[in-house]
Parts: sequence; structure tokens; C-alpha cells
Amino acid sequence: MMEADSPTWRVPPRWVLLVAVLMIVLAEVGGGAMARFKVELTRWARDGMLARPSVHGLVGVRDVDERILDEALVKFDAGLRLFHMHAEGMGLVIIATSMVAATVIRRAAARRTIIALLTTGGAGYPVGYLAWSALIPSYGLERSKTIAEWLVWVPFGTATIVALWCLAGLVAWTMISRNRA
Amino acid sequence: MTGRALLAPAALATLLALAATGAPALAHHVGAYVPKDNAVTTNFKQVKFSVQAEKFDVALRLFETGPLRAEMRAHAAALPSGLEDGTRAALATGDGPEVERRLMIFFAALSRDLALEADRQIARPDATAETRVATGRKFLEAIWRYYNLVDFAVATRDNTTSVAVRLAFDEAEAYVKPAATVGTAPADPAGLRKPLQRIAQVLSTLIELSSTPPRRNS
Repeated sequence: MMEADSPTWRVPPRWVLLVAVLMIVLAEVGGGAMARFKVELTRWARDGMLARPSVHGLVGVRDVDERILDEALVKFDAGLRLFHMHAEGMGLVIIATSMVAATVIRRAAARRTIIALLTTGGAGYPVGYLAWSALIPSYGLERSKTIAEWLVWVPFGTATIVALWCLAGLVAWTMISRNRA
Repeated sequence: MTGRALLAPAALATLLALAATGAPALAHHVGAYVPKDNAVTTNFKQVKFSVQAEKFDVALRLFETGPLRAEMRAHAAALPSGLEDGTRAALATGDGPEVERRLMIFFAALSRDLALEADRQIARPDATAETRVATGRKFLEAIWRYYNLVDFAVATRDNTTSVAVRLAFDEAEAYVKPAATVGTAPADPAGLRKPLQRIAQVLSTLIELSSTPPRRNS
């Protein structure tokens, strides 16, 4: 069996593995902290919202405001949960996809670019959920979502999706050329 | 087939699956919010279902220890006199229709007070039109959350009032809905005041008329 046909997977660069593992560690720490400090986090978010009534459209009537606060707190909690879930998942996605890229792509420049996009995109995207949650008390639901979208989700999410499609295309191209040969 | 030849199709399938599921992620799913009952509406439902099941001892205990009674006390000044004591007495004697009537008055009063407060806040000249529309929308949600609990009881006693409140509510909603298509009228905070005032007026009349216990033929 030739070296090129070896079934052995190639390990991605160490910094990529480090970032992926760090993401998973952050996800676990985030999930644990979310459960451990649930009351403190909720209190902090609620106080932040009550300090900015106009941002959240509070009207000073409990029957109306409690629903607005409840929705914001549910979304605040959802943001933390989604960070935990996405960081865990994207850590594994970074490891898996960069390993495919390291194994399948022969051209060094393409390999490096795709691995860099997968890693930065995959590591950055989940942070958007954390940022969204953290911004809700100060900027309200919609504005904080817009900020998180344009600063984090759109750039990092696009990087990941573009890199995945490029990688899929390159893998398909490799298969086709091998069949022709 | 060599190892690398097997690896490539498997990797391709996985990548395509990841990329395909990644595309909808552009919508940035941030969770859905389902409005929950507050303490008062939860307690109301507990009491109501206990009364319907003719478990008046349970209903009385739930009423005496729950936030519904506390809320009645907090709003005592705006309610017909003796509403709380009468509700308690009706529960103690197992008079289901009387309990329903008194709870209907209470929630009608809460809805009326919200409609009056909404009208007051929407009339404020210092707020922008967008703020007033948003305020109106939130108040309408809160009014409906309370009124909806007793609409059936209102309709069975006075269908005209129920229809009048619903029509006024529909009209008010039309003023706070964002324009769906180009050419439709934009949200109008000034127009919202009339249906809100009508809701308050109709509910005031209902509270006034319902506060006298119905005569029972002997």
C-alpha cells in the first residue's frame, strides 16, 4: 500500500485542536456556571433591565411589565443555553472538519485557508449567543440581536459555511479526479 | 477499494450534511417565547377549575392562600365594595355562579383599569408615535390576558357587552399592527385611544350592572 493511499487520518495543526478543546471547555464551564449562578445571573439581568425602562419599553404597570421582563429573561437564558450547546458542538465540528481538510486537501494554501476559516468561524459563532445574552439588559432584545448578528453571527457563521462548502467541493473534486485516473 | 478512497465519500457526505444544516443557521435561531400565566391568572384557573369540579373546600383554600385574593385587596379601592368578602362567602357556601360572577367583575375591573392607564399613557405628548404604538400593543396584550379569562362568563350574562369589548379590542389592535404591505395605513396611536376608552366604558357599565346580585325568584 502506498503512503498516499494510507487510511490514516492526519491530525490538524495543534493550534486548531487547542482552539477546539478550549471551545468545549468553555461550553462546559458556561453550562455549569449557568446552572450554578442561575439566580445571580437572572437578578443581574433583571436589575439591568429595570435600570433602563425606556430601552425595554417598560410602562410602569406591573401587569404589562412583568411579561416584557419575563420574555427578556427567557431569551437571556436561551442565549446562555445556546452558547453552551453551540460551543460544545462547534468544538467537535472544528476537530472533525479540520481533520478531513488536513487529510484530504493536498494543496497547502487551500488546506491552510480552509482550516483557518473552519476554526475561526467555528470558534467565533457560539460567542455570538453569549454576546447576545450579555447585551440584552443594556440594549433590549432586538437591538442586541442585531449587534450580535452583524458583529459575530454573520461574519463567523459565513466563514464556517463557506469553508464547509469549499471543503465539500474539494473532496468531491478529489473523488472525481481519482475515478478518472 | 483503498482506505483513502473509502474515506473521501464518507467525508463528503458528512460535509454536505453539515453545510446543508448550516445554511438555515443564517436565520440565527434564538429560541421562541411562549407567554406564561402570571400568579394571578394561574390562581384564578385553579379556583375556577376547583369550583367547576364542585370542590369548594379546595377552591376556598386556593383563594384564601393565593395571589388572587392578595390582588383583590391591593385593588380594593377600584373594586365594588365587599367583592373579596363576597367571593369568599360564595366559596364557603358552595355558590358556583356567584363565585363566577364576582371573579368576572374582578377581571373586568383589572381590564378596565389597564385600558384607562393605556389611554392615559398614549395621550402623553412627550412620547414618539412608535413608543406610543408599542405601549398600546403591550397594554392590549395585558388587557386581553385578563379579559379573555372571563369573556365566556360575560357573554353568558350580557352578550352585547362581550361583543362590544371584542369589537373595540379588534379595532384597537388594527391601530397597533405594523403595516403589512405598502399602501396600508400605518400604526396610529391617536386612533387607538377611542377603542380603549370604549373598552373602559363598556367594562365600567358591566361592573356597575353586575355588582348587584341577581334577584332569585322564591
